[in-house]
Amino acid sequence: MSDYKFIFSGPVGVGKTTAIGAISDVAPVTTDEQASDMTKAQKSGTTVAMDYGMIKLGDRERIHLYGTPGQERFDFMWEILTQGGIGLILLIGNNRPDPFSDMHFFLKAFKDFIGRSKVVIGVTKMDLTDKPRIEDYHLQLEDCGVKIPIFEVDARMKGDVSLLIEALLYSLDPGLEG
Amino acid sequence: MSKAPLTPVRLAAVGMDQRQRNALRMLFTTQCNNRYVLMEEDSSEICILDLDVFGGERLWEEFRERHPDRPLILVSLKPGEIADAHTLFVQKPIPVNQLIAAIEQQRRLLSTRNKTCSQVESGAPHPIAKNNHQTATPQPGKKNTPRRAASLMSASKEKIFVGTSPDIDPKDPAQLTKVYYKPDHYLQGIIQQALNQAVRYNKNIAIEGPWPAIILDIEKHKIWVSAEERQLRPYCTVPDATLEVPLRIIEVDEASPIGRREFPIQAFLWQLALWASRGRLPHGTDLFQPIYLRRWPNFTRLVMTPYALAIAALWAEQPRSLIGTAETLDIPQRYVFAFYSAAHAIQLAGETRRAVDTLIEPPAVKPSQNRGLFGRLLNRLRGG
Repeated sequence: MSDYKFIFSGPVGVGKTTAIGAISDVAPVTTDEQASDMTKAQKSGTTVAMDYGMIKLGDRERIHLYGTPGQERFDFMWEILTQGGIGLILLIGNNRPDPFSDMHFFLKAFKDFIGRSKVVIGVTKMDLTDKPRIEDYHLQLEDCGVKIPIFEVDARMKGDVSLLIEALLYSLDPGLEG
Repeated sequence: MSKAPLTPVRLAAVGMDQRQRNALRMLFTTQCNNRYVLMEEDSSEICILDLDVFGGERLWEEFRERHPDRPLILVSLKPGEIADAHTLFVQKPIPVNQLIAAIEQQRRLLSTRNKTCSQVESGAPHPIAKNNHQTATPQPGKKNTPRRAASLMSASKEKIFVGTSPDIDPKDPAQLTKVYYKPDHYLQGIIQQALNQAVRYNKNIAIEGPWPAIILDIEKHKIWVSAEERQLRPYCTVPDATLEVPLRIIEVDEASPIGRREFPIQAFLWQLALWASRGRLPHGTDLFQPIYLRRWPNFTRLVMTPYALAIAALWAEQPRSLIGTAETLDIPQRYVFAFYSAAHAIQLAGETRRAVDTLIEPPAVKPSQNRGLFGRLLNRLRGG
């Protein structure tokens, strides 16, 4: 049996748990607890350890989908979760107070992991507020010298989440047949 | 690999800008084991001259006046015929192995000259001096049908958005004419013109013609169309060079969405470009000039043609020519042309202008060690 994993990360309430659930072959395992701090304003339950889902490829291969807890006080988990990971799916909520700051924070937090793999960014909640636009996110990254796929996504839509992963796969190997 | 000589060969890059010199320097360091070193012209043994820089031909003449018999390697995007015993030609983008072969050829020439002090005779044309350009002539083994890409798009939709044109031989002028279209002769060009005006005056624009009413709302970045896509498409696929379309500035109220279908401006233009181009290119696009991708398209909200992700990933890494992209990915040219036309319409892709981008051939794509796994996952995600 061969096991591989993708990491989903991003701030609280951007849809990591939902995105994993959208493409997982098994009912996602969540470790949500009742929020009792500032997070409560954004959602009633929040992930405190990790989310887990899985895609089965035949009998011999499994792709594990791990969602990091969104709160920074659980950042000690992030390094552990990324070990052996293939790539990072970063979700940013467009309705958050400062989505650019969120993006920069997480790109910096996962800098080492991104350096040895690749990252794609999904901007969620654009149905709630359409500004900033996707172009604005690209402008924020213009100086960093890399061209990261950034897509508008609805974390509930399997097609959107799948396309994020497809872009990640092609970023890792543009010659991939498909 | 042969043992590196103790003394590096001294090369000069004549007429090249700093970026090109840096690219050569990096190449010599990372891929040539420091066998070659870049110096000023006066201290060099062999020179490399880029004919494509401004006044390149004159630079070449002046160089030969200064150094009648110094070994020279000419590089250019255009195929060259060199009648000169001391000069070799390598076509850009320069394949690294051909550049090394040319340098080594010139080094041997120098060595022989130094040993014997006899005149080198010009013999049969050197293989490097021949045009080394890879043409896009269809190869017997090359697929002209998608591998599995149609899983993203039905065959009928693919015909609408990408067309069915076979690959062309870019050296055949007759075939070349078939690969171009003029966006200005289509609704695509009119919408682009309207967008320019809307941005310039920060006003909404009504685009009036025989087609269903179209309104461009610049503040919301939306297009309103009073028809279904299938009703609009016929107006987007037929060229009309004589059409003059009045673009009318309108007030906000007139852009009311009641009874109209809404499209983001970029997604609308992207789709119009695919409809109009059907696997062709905007008139005048250079098939051999490397193409840059300014940023990844927002694929979740656009019509995605087969291989679009692969092409975007390739161009995001490094500019590559349209022909080179089709060859590298081993896909029919029309998929590359369609993607370029759509991305160009929304200003996400264009031809590179920096000399350094055409200097050295992009490296081959290295397959990931997980390619098999990725392929299976891709198939799974696409419903396979």
